[in-house]
Amino acid sequence: MKKIKEIATRLEIAKKNIKNMRNNNQGSNAASLGKALKISTELVAAVVVGSIIGFLLDDWFDTKPLLTICFFVIGVAAGILNVFRSAKKMQNKYKN
Amino acid sequence: MATNPMHQFEVYRIGPEINLGEINLSFTNASLFMTISSILILLFLFLGTKKKSLVPTKIQFITEASYTFVAKMINDTAGSSAKSFFPFIFTLFMFVLFANMVGMLPYSFTVTSHIIVTFVLAAMVFIGVTILGFIKHGFKYLEIFVPKGVPIILLPLIVIIEIISYLSRPVSLSVRLFANMMAGHTMLKVFGGFVISLGLLGGWLPLGFSVALTGLEILVAFLQAYVFAILTCIYLNDALNLHH
Repeated sequence: MKKIKEIATRLEIAKKNIKNMRNNNQGSNAASLGKALKISTELVAAVVVGSIIGFLLDDWFDTKPLLTICFFVIGVAAGILNVFRSAKKMQNKYKN
Repeated sequence: MATNPMHQFEVYRIGPEINLGEINLSFTNASLFMTISSILILLFLFLGTKKKSLVPTKIQFITEASYTFVAKMINDTAGSSAKSFFPFIFTLFMFVLFANMVGMLPYSFTVTSHIIVTFVLAAMVFIGVTILGFIKHGFKYLEIFVPKGVPIILLPLIVIIEIISYLSRPVSLSVRLFANMMAGHTMLKVFGGFVISLGLLGGWLPLGFSVALTGLEILVAFLQAYVFAILTCIYLNDALNLHH
């Protein structure tokens, strides 16, 4: 009986340690660097995709260069939205 | 030729030319290094799980650590409902990681420094996740393009922005991996070229840089595989649990 109790307390301590470790891990350097690399491409990708869509639509409707310009601007907006969202996600993670 | 920093990215044919109709299916050095990475992964996992001792040997420990690493990543980012996609994400992570790491060896070829390879991987993830979303939620999946609380007048513009943002996912996923690997390997080669051209007198400084950059590149190789896998988990989470 005594042994079971001892194991139970030990398990409790081990679980607490795991929890603490998890909280510490979130601020680790490698993960932050990964996030930084992640955000930078997100902005560019949306602009490129927007411009390509605009260019294709221009080709289709014969309205060069109107739609390319429009979709370029929309692409920039989408890129900023992407960056904003990832940043928000990171903030939420740190709060918890 | 050897001093050209872009020479290392050249794809050439090994063995006979194989043509299937219009498509060229010849075995290239890229295919060779993809095969090598796959074989290394299989070997690594096979050796790691052969002797299941309670006190793990070194290789068993690394195998188990990589398993726990990916399992924890899926659990933290995509929730427990994504557990069934563990094999896919583990395969993706291991393939990218091993392709990057094999590329770090001298005289080898970095498969992931070619946009077509990374784009196929990213497109696979993108198409798979989209199909999964439609299977799981039906046409309600289209709701991810319509954020809550937006005025009706702005809605058409917002939907277009959301669609572009969604379509930019595979592009950013593939360009990130490709650009990081190519830039890193080009830089290594350029510094290596400096060592030769500056000779015995001044070559030590770029040599030092080269050593430091190699360390950095190994970090980047791991990090990019990690980022690729974790973003797949995030996209999976968006498809499985429909909310922002």
